[in-house]
Amino acid sequence: MLAIFKKELKSYFLTPTGWIFLAVFLLVSGISFATQLVFPGNSQYTMFLTGLLFVYLFVVPLLTMRIFTDEKRFKTDQLLLTGPSNLWGIVMGKFLAALAVFLITIAVTFIYPLLLSFHGKLDWPMIIGTYIGFVLLGAAFIAIGVFVSQVSEGVVSAAVLTFCAIIITFIIDFMQQYMPTTEPSGLVWAVILIALPLSWLYSSGKNWAVTAAVALVLAVMLLLFWFFGRTLFFGLIGKSLGWLSLTRRFGSFSMGILSLDAILYYLSFSGFFLFMTVQSLEKRRWS
Amino acid sequence: MIRAENLSRHFGRIEAVRDIDFHIRKGEITGLLGPNGAGKSTTMNMITGYLAPSAGKISIDGIDIVESPEDAKKLIGYLPEQPPLYLDLTVDEYLDFVTEFKRVPKNRRKADLETIRDLVKIGDVRKRLIKNLSKGYKQRVGLAQALVGNPPLLILDEPTIGLDPKQIIEIRELIRDLGKEHTVVLSSHILPEISATCHRILIIDKGKIVASDSPENLSGRLSGASGAARQKLLIKGDADAVQAALENIPAMGSLSTGKGPEDGLSEAVIAAAGEGDIREDVFRALAAADLPILQMGPMDLSLEEIFLNLTTTEEEA
Ligand SMILES: Nc1ncnc2c1ncn2[C@@H]1O[C@H](COP(=O)(O)OP(=O)(O)OP(=O)(O)O)[C@@H](O)[C@H]1O
Ligand SMILES: [Mg+2]
Repeated sequence: MLAIFKKELKSYFLTPTGWIFLAVFLLVSGISFATQLVFPGNSQYTMFLTGLLFVYLFVVPLLTMRIFTDEKRFKTDQLLLTGPSNLWGIVMGKFLAALAVFLITIAVTFIYPLLLSFHGKLDWPMIIGTYIGFVLLGAAFIAIGVFVSQVSEGVVSAAVLTFCAIIITFIIDFMQQYMPTTEPSGLVWAVILIALPLSWLYSSGKNWAVTAAVALVLAVMLLLFWFFGRTLFFGLIGKSLGWLSLTRRFGSFSMGILSLDAILYYLSFSGFFLFMTVQSLEKRRWS
Repeated sequence: MIRAENLSRHFGRIEAVRDIDFHIRKGEITGLLGPNGAGKSTTMNMITGYLAPSAGKISIDGIDIVESPEDAKKLIGYLPEQPPLYLDLTVDEYLDFVTEFKRVPKNRRKADLETIRDLVKIGDVRKRLIKNLSKGYKQRVGLAQALVGNPPLLILDEPTIGLDPKQIIEIRELIRDLGKEHTVVLSSHILPEISATCHRILIIDKGKIVASDSPENLSGRLSGASGAARQKLLIKGDADAVQAALENIPAMGSLSTGKGPEDGLSEAVIAAAGEGDIREDVFRALAAADLPILQMGPMDLSLEEIFLNLTTTEEEA
């Protein structure tokens, strides 16, 4: 894992990718720092950071689009997958390298609050909290990007799909309000949600008996809930979409609260996409 | 060293490898020979664990590659069809990465790389970016990568492709040397390429093994050195006259004549009907018709013809 991490980090700065990431992020944040905080004489640093979140939309795809697509294009995956490292080592090495580039960039932006602190008192706990949230959110987006670059065939499609995935997590909060909240709609949604992992289970094992058994158990559970705990289905669509809303949980950090809930949420979100990446790598060997 | 049982691999509907069995002994150099699309690379990808077999088993030194991949992969050095090179790195940076990735102990790394660079002769391009290297040098760096960690089993997919004739001879010698201490499997679609280096040849066609033998035995069956095989002649004289003179030989099996490479010369390709040798009859017939033979020799069998030959004889047997 360490070997891959070091090589990837080096490659980021041997090719334009790392530098472009650094330049774009610092340019955009610098401009908005000047216009929002310095000229108006404002010191609402956390609001400024929250406003920067949209930059992720453009810079994360740039950082992750080549991670696995180039390995496939130049057949270097044949070296990685026939070496003594396991798949987790490969995926984590690459993920952590992208995260490191991101952290280096974020570290540079620490100059801004330091500059501000010469002019007025800053609420440091709030700033640190926001930074932690910023990094956790970035890690989750990068994990999405890593997964997308593994499942897409080309660099361009990886970048576009990552962009779309991130945009969805941004607007999902907004979409949530327009979803039906009735109990039957919740039931239909639950069936769809169950069908997805089932189809994945079948495609990865091609085992009808196991899939059918799991499906039966889940169906019985659904029916039990339907008759004895129907309120569960009320507003289920909105609730489960809310689970995907990465930005909503960012709020608590920018208020200076380190909630264990939110931290665990971001970590497990990243973990889930890295797990899916490993699964997808494994599956490619069989298909 | 390698044991494959009932090995199959399909890609969707395409059956790339169909139910093959083979056993490769320790210390042998084995050649996989087959035309394009025969399934050589697919077989090698399964041996090295890059692809999982659709059916069947492979074990390396008794270790199943699907069940305990990490242990089995430690024993293998693999040069895929397209060398897996990171183009943005220099040769040294790349090989440093590979040594670390393959977990060569720190204190051995420098000496190991030194030896490998000498073996494949890449000492003079150490500081160059891989993307700027010529194809032959890229191939050598790919070979160097396979040798890192000194694995007992080397799998080389078309190792001499893209090299000039002098380098081909060098690499062949290198492979023969490596074969003294390693088990080597290499693939090619050129027969002389393989018979020059290998102790044993596996011929694959359309995903099946059609022959498995030593080069000596195979060349006995295939080279066409005996009189019974097809002969090609270059004759001074008119093609029609040649045709007329040769037609009357009783043991003549097949005969075709045509214009030669220069004016006044003609060519003929002949084969005896049975097992007999008709070269003497041909000489006498042409001498009687005053048509001097400038050249006569066995025809080089193309790979397609070898396969045709093998598949038909195997079926008859
Ligand atoms: N990833 C893949 N997807 C679909 N078909 C494939 C894939 N890899 C190989 N094939 C098919 O499997 C067959 C065998 O291919 P393989 O690469 O093993 O042949 P080969 O003997 O190495 O040929 P060559 O001499 O051209 O390298 C071919 O028909 C090829 O089209
Ligand atoms: Mg091939």
